[in-house]
Amino acid sequence: MFILGKRLEPEGKTTPFGGVSPRDQLTIVPRGASIELSQVSVFFRRAGEHVTAVLDVSLKVAPGEFVALLGPSGCGKSTLLNVLAGFRPPDSGAVLLNGKLHHTPTPLCGVVFQKHALFPWMSVLDNVAFGPRQLGFADPEGLARRMLEMVGLASVAGAWPSTLSGGMQQRVGIARALATRPPVLLMDEPFGALDAQTRGLMQAELLNIWMHFRPTLVFVTHDIDEAIFLADRVVVMRTLPGTIGAEFEIALPRPRDPVVMESGQFLAYRRAIAGIIRDEARKVFGP
Amino acid sequence: MRRSRQIAHFVTGGLGSIALSAVGIAMFLAVWALASRALNPVLLPYPTAVLDAYRELIADGSLMKDTGSSLARVFGGFAIAAMIAPPLALLLGYSWYMRCLVLPLVTLIRPIPPIAWIPLAILWFGLGDRPSYFITALAAFFPIFLSSFAGAQSLPDEHLNSARSLGAGTGALLLRIMLPSALPLIVTGLRIGLGQAWMAVVTAELIAAQSGLGFMIQASRLNLETARVLVGMTLIGILGASMTASLSLIERKLIVPWNYTK
Repeated sequence: MFILGKRLEPEGKTTPFGGVSPRDQLTIVPRGASIELSQVSVFFRRAGEHVTAVLDVSLKVAPGEFVALLGPSGCGKSTLLNVLAGFRPPDSGAVLLNGKLHHTPTPLCGVVFQKHALFPWMSVLDNVAFGPRQLGFADPEGLARRMLEMVGLASVAGAWPSTLSGGMQQRVGIARALATRPPVLLMDEPFGALDAQTRGLMQAELLNIWMHFRPTLVFVTHDIDEAIFLADRVVVMRTLPGTIGAEFEIALPRPRDPVVMESGQFLAYRRAIAGIIRDEARKVFGP
Repeated sequence: MRRSRQIAHFVTGGLGSIALSAVGIAMFLAVWALASRALNPVLLPYPTAVLDAYRELIADGSLMKDTGSSLARVFGGFAIAAMIAPPLALLLGYSWYMRCLVLPLVTLIRPIPPIAWIPLAILWFGLGDRPSYFITALAAFFPIFLSSFAGAQSLPDEHLNSARSLGAGTGALLLRIMLPSALPLIVTGLRIGLGQAWMAVVTAELIAAQSGLGFMIQASRLNLETARVLVGMTLIGILGASMTASLSLIERKLIVPWNYTK
């Protein structure tokens, strides 16, 4: 009863949308905005001890770029995504969205979570229409229907989310995040809970959607193949504390087909990245 | 082995559970009948004597009148609590400042049982209906509030963060996210609160009212009409159980349908 718990209200004096109405912000910022982490550090307490989750990370993502943030679990990559989304202010450093300071959630950054993020009390259609309704878009329901058609789920618009498979739920999650046309899309291991076959299909579909909308995309994953297959640039994180270890520009041609994963070029990237990841995973795993 | 499995199947089936419940109640009535044979009828009247008392009280219309005034007090007080507690719980769940301001107060007042408020209730509201409304509202408030508050606190981070990054402001966050998310627990709280209000009304009427089932029990006790006391007691049990059962049914069918479609 006396556990007062976390704060839900926005911290600090800034309004969630920086004084500009959310809808206006969406029209001001061009499609595909740049997002930047500048010397960001995040600390937290675990069992009374200070733990450095992320230390002095700087990362610049260009408008329309697809960046994969890759690392073993515990490397702070999800923490970084939460900082990028404005869910958690960094303890030091800054997040810049199109060059402007950004530290509260905003419809400029759409977010797709690993799972359980759909509102279970709303139909699939209402989930997707939620953002457009909040932002006062014209015809939110029509827009939501078009988004559902795009991810091939128009037929389940009236269903409760709990009746859908994991893959279908994630497609609804992507449709919902894109329905507000965010210039930046952040994805936190969105396919991590899916089986291998579904995951492959979802990756191909995500690339189609990204080519269509061209949002700036930051994609967190621990799957090396997924990162190389999807991204323009793979950022490999080191652990304890989380820092950026290496970056790989992925020069595979687009549009990409899954057969590219058997090419020599792909395997060369894979070998290089896997070496770093293995060392880092061992470090977290312990002696 | 095989037989025990058959029994288990019979028991878990719908018909089996109803049959077993009937057996349990029948056994209770049998024990009652046997015990009342052994005792003085003033201490424990025979079950049929209670039925006779039911008949008399229905015939002279007083049972309907007393039941009516008790029900009115229960639903009146419950309605007051149901209007105040969930919004307050959601507000406290949302706002850290409100939580710090109000929660310690709630924690301090909650252990005081409704019966301890009766002297103050009489001083403030006099005898009659009004102190009973106060007592039932008070009794219903805490279970509704605590359950609703737990519902508000259990909002998953993903839902909160999704809603905010989809542009939800404070109003939408409270009404379209926190309220439906907490609804299953709010309804649980309402169910418990209604039961508490029902128990409290009898307590209040024993002391502070001139009508109602509690008053009827008290008056019959003074006349040593134990059968009538038992009429009051059994009717309270039957009505309380039906109210809780019907709220469970409404909860499952109407209020949180997304929890029951799999």
